[in-house]
Amino acid sequence: MKRAPSTPIVVLVHVGLVVFTVVALLPVMWVLSMALTPSQAFASGGLPIPTNPSLANFTDVVTTVDEDGTWLFVRQLFNSLIVSASTSLVGLALATTAAYALSRWEMPGKDRAMSAFLITQMFPGVVMAVPLYLLLDEVGLLDTLTGLVLVYATTTVPFSVWTLKGYFDTVPRDLEEAAMLDGANRWQTFAWVILPLARPALAVTGLFSFMSAWNEFILAATLLGDSRSYTLPVVLQRYVSDQGTEWGHFAAGAVIVSIPVVLLFFALQRHFVEGLTAGAVKG
Amino acid sequence: MATVGFQALHKRYGDTHVLKGIEAQVEDGEYVVLVGPSGCGKSTLLRCVAGLEEISEGQLTIGDRVVNSLAPAERDVAMVFQSYALYPHMTVAENMGFALRVAGRPREEIQARVAEVARMLELEPLLERLPAQMSGGQRQRVAMGRAIVRQPAVFLFDEPLSNLDASLRTHMRVELKRLHQRLGATILHVTHDQVEALTLADRILVLNQGIVQQFGSPRELYDTPANTFVATFIGSPSMNMLRGLPGEEAIVGVRPHDVVLGSGEISATVDVVESLGAEALVHLQLTDGTPMVAQVPEPASVKPGDAVNLAFAKVHRFDPSTERRL
Amino acid sequence: MRGVGALLFAWLLPAAAQAEELTVWHAYSGAEEDALQEAARTWSEANGVTVRPVFTPFGAFDSKIETAVPRGNGPDVFIAAHGNLGNWRQMGIVEEVEVDLAAHCEVCGEAVSADGKSWGYPLAYKSLLLLYDPGVVDRPPETTDELIAQAHALTGGDRYGLAFQIAEPYYYVPWLHAFGGSILDDDVSSPAHAQALAFAYRLGVGEGIMPAQPTGELVGQLYEDGNAAFVISGPWFIPDRKRAIAAAPLPVVSETGQPAKPYLTVEAAFVADQAKEPEHARAFAAWLAGPEGAEIRQRVGKQAVSAVEVTSDDPLLAVMREQAERSVLYPTDPAAGSATEAQARALRRVLRGAATPEGAAAEAQAYREVFQRPPPPSVSPTPYLATMVLVLLGGLAWAVAPLREEALRKQIWEERFSYLWVAPAAVALLAVVVAPFVTGAAVSLFAHQGGEWSFVGMRHFLDILLARDWPVSSPMSFFYTLAVTVLWTVTNVLAHVGLGVALALVLREPWIRMRPLFRAALILPWAIPNYITALIFKGLFHVQYGAVNALLGALVGGTVHIDWFGSFALAFCANLTTNTWLGFPFMMVVALGALQSIPRDLEEAAMVDGAGWWFRFRHVVWPLLAPALLPAVLLGSVWTFNMFNVVYLVSGGEPDGSTEILISEAYRWAFDRENRYGYAAAYAVLIFGVLLIWSRSANRLAGKRVL
Repeated sequence: MKRAPSTPIVVLVHVGLVVFTVVALLPVMWVLSMALTPSQAFASGGLPIPTNPSLANFTDVVTTVDEDGTWLFVRQLFNSLIVSASTSLVGLALATTAAYALSRWEMPGKDRAMSAFLITQMFPGVVMAVPLYLLLDEVGLLDTLTGLVLVYATTTVPFSVWTLKGYFDTVPRDLEEAAMLDGANRWQTFAWVILPLARPALAVTGLFSFMSAWNEFILAATLLGDSRSYTLPVVLQRYVSDQGTEWGHFAAGAVIVSIPVVLLFFALQRHFVEGLTAGAVKG
Repeated sequence: MATVGFQALHKRYGDTHVLKGIEAQVEDGEYVVLVGPSGCGKSTLLRCVAGLEEISEGQLTIGDRVVNSLAPAERDVAMVFQSYALYPHMTVAENMGFALRVAGRPREEIQARVAEVARMLELEPLLERLPAQMSGGQRQRVAMGRAIVRQPAVFLFDEPLSNLDASLRTHMRVELKRLHQRLGATILHVTHDQVEALTLADRILVLNQGIVQQFGSPRELYDTPANTFVATFIGSPSMNMLRGLPGEEAIVGVRPHDVVLGSGEISATVDVVESLGAEALVHLQLTDGTPMVAQVPEPASVKPGDAVNLAFAKVHRFDPSTERRL
Repeated sequence: MRGVGALLFAWLLPAAAQAEELTVWHAYSGAEEDALQEAARTWSEANGVTVRPVFTPFGAFDSKIETAVPRGNGPDVFIAAHGNLGNWRQMGIVEEVEVDLAAHCEVCGEAVSADGKSWGYPLAYKSLLLLYDPGVVDRPPETTDELIAQAHALTGGDRYGLAFQIAEPYYYVPWLHAFGGSILDDDVSSPAHAQALAFAYRLGVGEGIMPAQPTGELVGQLYEDGNAAFVISGPWFIPDRKRAIAAAPLPVVSETGQPAKPYLTVEAAFVADQAKEPEHARAFAAWLAGPEGAEIRQRVGKQAVSAVEVTSDDPLLAVMREQAERSVLYPTDPAAGSATEAQARALRRVLRGAATPEGAAAEAQAYREVFQRPPPPSVSPTPYLATMVLVLLGGLAWAVAPLREEALRKQIWEERFSYLWVAPAAVALLAVVVAPFVTGAAVSLFAHQGGEWSFVGMRHFLDILLARDWPVSSPMSFFYTLAVTVLWTVTNVLAHVGLGVALALVLREPWIRMRPLFRAALILPWAIPNYITALIFKGLFHVQYGAVNALLGALVGGTVHIDWFGSFALAFCANLTTNTWLGFPFMMVVALGALQSIPRDLEEAAMVDGAGWWFRFRHVVWPLLAPALLPAVLLGSVWTFNMFNVVYLVSGGEPDGSTEILISEAYRWAFDRENRYGYAAAYAVLIFGVLLIWSRSANRLAGKRVL
């Protein structure tokens, strides 16, 4: 509505929104408070206020060194960045071409292909880790970040295809026809005209791929065999053992792990609504 | 510059027969407008020329080449789309130079040609803008410019003016005419607006239900419409079609300005009078209830309810069964 | 650019193997890791062979060993507790070694021996101890009565006399042993078990000397704050304590006059099968276990080393040695896992007051019988193979049948290049997702029990679908879990959509102040890894120290003591809250996008017609919004259906496995219950089947193909 409702309602809605947002942010506050409290205990009590705040936990996490003096944290941070960024790129490369073809060309069986992509989302992961291990071992990619990237990138494909196809469906065909008349072949049309237009959807799907690689640890722990090739979430598991959790370190690690994703989220936020729902809206 | 020839051209989508044996020859440098009601197949025909639709049967020639199986880019045609289809992420200059870039022309050549066309269309101040930062008329000119830069043998315009408001449309019509005179290019222009057709075309091709109704100059179409469809479609307000006039077997067509009020043996009642300023449209009802329209100079001498007698200055006669001109 | 590319490439490829390097996997951290590194350096310098200790996260250690070693990708040596030795011997993962048992404490030698042979070099031992604050405790108690009496005197206000993880079987067995029982007893419903359970209840709840539901972290924190006088924990509890701490052996249980006997775990260096440098591996492991290695480990890592030659005047080590004399060696029987799970259930039910000790012990016996049932008889695979070939051929024929149409063949041929665009994604998915799943699914036709595989055909499916092992109403039955899973999915999706749409409706209003700020803040939960969220929420729901109860208490102005994991409804709510927190931002963003496409003039027209906001929402907005949300809802429902992390980490199935969903139940069968991979795989196949049916029927409901 162009006009705001009456003042009491406006105030009430704002109060409700603020309360909800505060409640929603409480767990985040708890993590921050635990990370800043120099003890390894789970914070207790009602409010997330750190006691004796210090950066000790962060220093501990960041300065981990291995026996050769390799600065493990930086190494693992780099691993995580490289794995996640490669996952986004490879995942997008696989998904964009497929999504474009499925959006545009009338090839027989394309409906089935779309269903098949989404059906793979229904496979429970529990039974897949060991066969994947055997597969990577067979092709010599075990213990390599390449192998991990391939696995991650592929698992992101169905969601990416789903989102990207929805977006491509909304790009007017006129543009491709114009490009065709201008002499561009399919590939040039795709790369020079369609892809630049799909930036919002590319940003969103790229971010999701990045995030899923960035946060994953079960496969990473299974498929990597060396603390120097570990990614950050695997390292976080160092602070969780059967003798209890080192909450201070864990929370500090969690904050460090979350920061890049949160920054990316904010940077790409404006693309979210458009990139994610273009296809859905068209229905 | 080239001719465009259609020989028994058919287009089918599954069971729907859209174009049913189009025969026509467009001469070199000719401005041909394709008109017809929506769904008549005119856009499809244009897209067949562009190579965006496959031809089901028959032959399409551009110049002396049969182009049926050539890719759009190989046909040496350029198209202006109804939506303009400007690449939203490219500036005006990039849009205009895109085809040359695809063709791998050197950057200097691209710049020179874009600059030349921009000068011609007065687009120079806009070259660095994005399509979203321009008005409808400006976009339309860019779309034109993009076609011109390519120096194609044939220009294809798909309802290029339909997204503009009335005054701009009139202005652009003149621009198009001027452009054609200047380039001397072969142009195929699709529209549903017969005024556009009459003002722009060297020849008009009237299509209905996938069949060519008539292909001729605007004058020919206006003065000697080949059938009732063309007769009613061309000219505004449209021709009155009278069936069963006393002593007349044929369908009689009378243009509203050929109706003379006051004398004659046909009597009618005035229903409504619409004033257009210099002229008025008088809506009449014949004694048997048939409505018809007369165009008379203002001030009109009649008012609603008056009984008048009519005479026709000129009539067109059509066969009642085939609806062809007699 | 090329340089950067080469660098990236080098990073992504495996590191070139270095000659003469010995890899040692371990899960040590802190001082123990330092000790291992120092020992490795010392030995490397002396022998010219580099030893590289590699930390492997505790959670992944066993499964990594069990997959990597048989494939020749394992380490040369791995350091682990002896508990899994039985399994590893069955799987051929460990090499036989020669150990001078006389040089090690007796139980330590016993732990690494089987069939009259030695299988690893004992390094150190660990067990539970009675730890206390010497500032408030003058003399550690000899008996449990004394302990309880002292603890009573030290309890009051926020302070507790005693704190330990009583609900964990590891912390419960010392008492069970004192009552003459054992986890591995054939009859776990005997009076000894009932008495031990009753004693645990008395200690944990009845006497009022312990905090509610103590977790490891909580015990540590209570001690740190001076709020726990006695703690029962292991040597790992001691490092980095700011408060003084002293140790004593566990007391004698007054009822029986028997000492409480904790489990003793012996850490040993095992030589892996297919070690690349077996000779060096043996030499290093023997040296590490021997006097020189032991000295370093004791000095730097504060380990209670097994080598008898190495002595120490550290009082703590003396206590550990004393406790080792009164302990029970941690069982290596692979069946101990499920036996422990049965006991853990009984224990938690008793502590919760949900069952009498006798009743709980009888239930434990019933569970145990099902868990330990011998594997189903193996059957001949021939009929299955034949059926499979027929089904495959039939499927192929069905898939190829449309190709008989000439037009279709022609169309396919014309679009052949289009298929190339889809091919990379399709091939990758086939290789990395479909093939592993099919392989995994094929495992469901086999039984894996006690390290042995046998072909059992459809037996697992029959057992599960006919509810042969448990009545349908039991939380262990497939149908019960399926019902919970469906409830879980439906409530989650409703909550996600409800919250998401409500927030989106509010956030699109131009009169809301600071909209971008709210939007950014509300998207935040999505950006945080879900396992972190899950672990945090579990802590927040703690009965006594959790923030949720504290906040509720502040609201009602008193103390609130809701046991969030004590009943199905509450535990389900806790899971639901966590997952809703994780899931609403996605729906909110989708709804915001969908709302943008609904022209506001429609609503304005309705407003002019005098419609109230609910009517406008119900009859104008919702009918247009719902179809746009549908694909996201379906996808969200699939994700929620398989949302393992939240259920496993928040409620962990509590109480009594009733909040378990299918995927977490499958995980338990695979990893917590003696690696019954076949049974777990059958669950996975059934999960897939259920989801497939769901998506098909959803398409039908929606009247079009959405998924």
